[in-house]
Amino acid sequence: MRILPALALVAGAADGQDLQHAADARYRAQRLAMVEQQIAAHGVRDPATLSAMRTVPRHAFVPAEQRDRAYGDHPLPIGFGQTISQPYIVAYMTETIRPKAGMRVLEVGTGSGYQAAILAAIGCEVYTVEIFEALATSARERLEQLGFGNVTVRHADGYDGWAAAAPFDAILVTAAAGFIPPVLLRQLKPGGRMVIPVGSVYGVQNLILVEQDAAGDLRTRNLLPVRFVPMLSGLR
Amino acid sequence: MARVARPLAVMLLSAGTVAYEILLARVFAIEYFHHFAYMAIGIAMLGSGVSGTAWALAGGMRYRRAAPWFVWASTLTAVTLTLSPTLVHLIALDPTQLAWDLAQWPRLALVYLLLALPFSAGAFAVVLALTLEPDHLGRIYGASFLGAGLGAALALGILWVASPARALALPAVVASAGGVVAAHGAVQSWRTVSLAWLPVLVAVAVFQRPLWRIAVTPYKGLPQVEAYPAARRTAERASPEGWVVAVAAPAFRFAPGLSLAFRGQFSSQTALFVDGQIAGAVASWDSGATGVEVLDWLPSAAPYALGSQRRVLIIGAGGGTEVSNALAHGARSVTAVELHPDIARLTEELARPVPPPAVRSRVQWIVGDARSYVARAGEQFDLVTLGPAGGFGASVAGIHSLNEDFLHTVEAYAAYLDRLSEGGVLAITRWLTVPPRENVRVILTAAEALRRRQPDAPPGLAVVRTWATGTVLVKPAGFTVAEIEGLRTWATRCRFDVDWFPGTGRPAPAFNQLDEPTLFLAAAAAAAGRAAAARFASTYPFDVRPADDARPYPHHFVRTRSLGAFVTSDRGSWLPFVEWGSVALLATLCQSVVLAGLLLLVPAALRSRAPGGRPTLRLIGYFTAIGLGYLTAEIAAIQQLGLLLGHPIYGVAVALAAFLVASGAGSVWSDRVRPARGWRVPATVAVMLLICSAFLLHLVHLLQPSPWMARAAVAVLALVPLAFTMGPPFPIGLRLLAGGDPPLVAWAWAANGFASVIAAPLAALVALEAGSRALFLVGAVAYAGSAALVGWGVPAGRSGASPALGVEQPRGG
Repeated sequence: MRILPALALVAGAADGQDLQHAADARYRAQRLAMVEQQIAAHGVRDPATLSAMRTVPRHAFVPAEQRDRAYGDHPLPIGFGQTISQPYIVAYMTETIRPKAGMRVLEVGTGSGYQAAILAAIGCEVYTVEIFEALATSARERLEQLGFGNVTVRHADGYDGWAAAAPFDAILVTAAAGFIPPVLLRQLKPGGRMVIPVGSVYGVQNLILVEQDAAGDLRTRNLLPVRFVPMLSGLR
Repeated sequence: MARVARPLAVMLLSAGTVAYEILLARVFAIEYFHHFAYMAIGIAMLGSGVSGTAWALAGGMRYRRAAPWFVWASTLTAVTLTLSPTLVHLIALDPTQLAWDLAQWPRLALVYLLLALPFSAGAFAVVLALTLEPDHLGRIYGASFLGAGLGAALALGILWVASPARALALPAVVASAGGVVAAHGAVQSWRTVSLAWLPVLVAVAVFQRPLWRIAVTPYKGLPQVEAYPAARRTAERASPEGWVVAVAAPAFRFAPGLSLAFRGQFSSQTALFVDGQIAGAVASWDSGATGVEVLDWLPSAAPYALGSQRRVLIIGAGGGTEVSNALAHGARSVTAVELHPDIARLTEELARPVPPPAVRSRVQWIVGDARSYVARAGEQFDLVTLGPAGGFGASVAGIHSLNEDFLHTVEAYAAYLDRLSEGGVLAITRWLTVPPRENVRVILTAAEALRRRQPDAPPGLAVVRTWATGTVLVKPAGFTVAEIEGLRTWATRCRFDVDWFPGTGRPAPAFNQLDEPTLFLAAAAAAAGRAAAARFASTYPFDVRPADDARPYPHHFVRTRSLGAFVTSDRGSWLPFVEWGSVALLATLCQSVVLAGLLLLVPAALRSRAPGGRPTLRLIGYFTAIGLGYLTAEIAAIQQLGLLLGHPIYGVAVALAAFLVASGAGSVWSDRVRPARGWRVPATVAVMLLICSAFLLHLVHLLQPSPWMARAAVAVLALVPLAFTMGPPFPIGLRLLAGGDPPLVAWAWAANGFASVIAAPLAALVALEAGSRALFLVGAVAYAGSAALVGWGVPAGRSGASPALGVEQPRGG
């Protein structure tokens, strides 16, 4: 009498594994299409970035009810009014800091942890700070579960950066709006790069690159519209 | 008894539905964003037209049941005014996901439907009342208008004493009183009367304890800052001007465009929010605090780098940062103008430590509209300064694109220049978008204003750009070499770029690099003359022509003809340029047109094949034309008189009240108009609108320095004759084109209702592209067309008919 339920459980587990494999295959196909159609097709060329974007399971970083939209060309909500950025923005920001294995990178605004995972997949040593405790906790758990051991998540005010781990080769700030914390600039290595997307979470984001030369001098560059230059002719 | 009860019931029902419309717009503007509120309510208002179509299709014997139906419709209006907000707040709608989450669309449709219910029921009750009162058209018509005016007044009044959540329960209380009056007037069974009292009890209970709570979208600044560690709400004020909240949070810091070279410390700040969006920050930046150092590293410190500015006028001083900046740079007197009284009050109350009396005596706060103040102020200033309003996100997302803003027009800049002392400076700082838009427009606008003031002198312009902002400095007397040197030294220290000053060449490699030296090119074109500036604007990818008082949209940049490029572009590539306000407007217009077609034209076409009560093209055309004409004229007049009255809330309230009351009086008077001469009234309206198009704005400019009461009186006097004449075309049209035929009256109501709803976004688009003068012209054309339709070949049998049936909605015509 007890054998039947046990068999049913085994069969159910087998079915579950099949379903999981099918889902993984579907997500993988979507991920590859995302990289080809949304990222590589729009000018991101860095092999390390493209490889990481093909590898990291973006669907694991969005709420369960959003998974089917995880690979769409748009941001998605993750709670607290925060979003996981549009895939292109993540790739573009990553490429912009010229990531290499072994680089020490500070991220201000962990969010879902997806950006940190991309950097970690490239081999960077990632320090990431999140002001919302619930997001910091869930991102830490998620990154551990997915095996990204080279990411350290801290719940703190990103204004102060991470003095103990400074200086950084690169800093990504995902929570600035009209303001770049001066402390962060002090934690950037000479020759380091900082990228800041500013603007509303849906639709408009101006990406700004801050470069510090060997003498510690700072220069900025507005980046993102580069992608949209061909578009402007249609607006005349 | 019914003769008194029905108009009274109609008045209360109209008051309830109009109050609901206004209060719902407030609540949605807090919970979501203004443009979503506009779209959702705009679509829901189609419900009033649906009531006409439904009644027209009812036909036959049902018209004899109008009396009991009127009672039930009145009661239903009250019930739905409680149900609608309750159920809408249970729907998990996230409008930000509409573009890619199909699950949001049925929710949006459900929201539309629930919002439309009270408007449909209320409008249905009015149609029925007018069906029942064929000999008292004017009375019912006037009651509807008066009720609308009462509803608008109630909606504004309740916001002074109740929270927006509780205020939203008031319309049901008012409308339920209308239901009771209707039931008593109909002398029906005690059971009916008792049932009519039930919504009163429910509405009062809900008013005491609302069934919903205001849930601000998490994408606004308020919920995000309140979620910061140790954040606490320190003040909260509600008024018709907005819901103001102050939040203290150690992690909140506000320093727009702060120099990357700044290495100092911040003082603590308190965030100020209006309707959940950042409106500034109050800081403890008195001259004794260490935090004062930061002020010199802000882009808005640029004018102080030119030299001492002793008398400073700050426009939009909420939060007080610029006041502190002026004081820190040695200003002897600071005049701080802030439109929002609660923001001004909180700025003074929350400043810690409290500045000493000697400092406070140097600052004078003016609560009110800056244009009016500048027009009447007799004194001169060494510096007039305007800072960036709102957060960076709102600026780049085009949230403000539809906002009328009379502070950044050519006339406004010219008025500021008139207030400058000999050697005075005008400084305007705006957020930098990429490609630059707003800063380019400021440069062209400032140069044009300067040129009007001194046509032959070269423009004294300087442009400073940071990584996030652009500041335009205007000095009519021209900059000295020492001033330019001072500015460049300060800019270099801050790692800012001086893109333009008189005599500059092409800019050197910049601290903050753009692909093109756009601000330099814009300033060079502006300095070269009017023709060069116009040429530059015409070839720029965005519309950067200077805004003026007739087209006061300085935050709107996308050309309508460019919309095709958006539609055909790659998915996502249009996102950085989209202006969500314009998108909401277009979406509202498209949805309104489609729904109006489905709910009016299709049923009308089907009905035209059946015998009796067939709507004619003439009837549909006439009532559509006056619906369009009324709304366009009303919107144009309110926009221009809004500048005269100087306040977006009270200006609209005065103008709206004058319109509603005068149009109601005009409709009562219409009973005396001989139908054969009925075409003359819309023709007269057309002529009056032509006159308004040509002269009203001049009158506004002439009267701007006058006291507010005088300006309000003139505004009312200017509006009353126009609005009075705009009242009669609807009842006259009914007499001439519908006679006493109930289905035709209903079709007329439906056509007018749908046209009114379509006219609102259409008029806004016309205003956006061509300005309020053009809007008056559109109204004139619509009324001229209606005059032709009603005057040409009207069947003799109808032209002599006595007033039979009339319907009206408060703002339809």
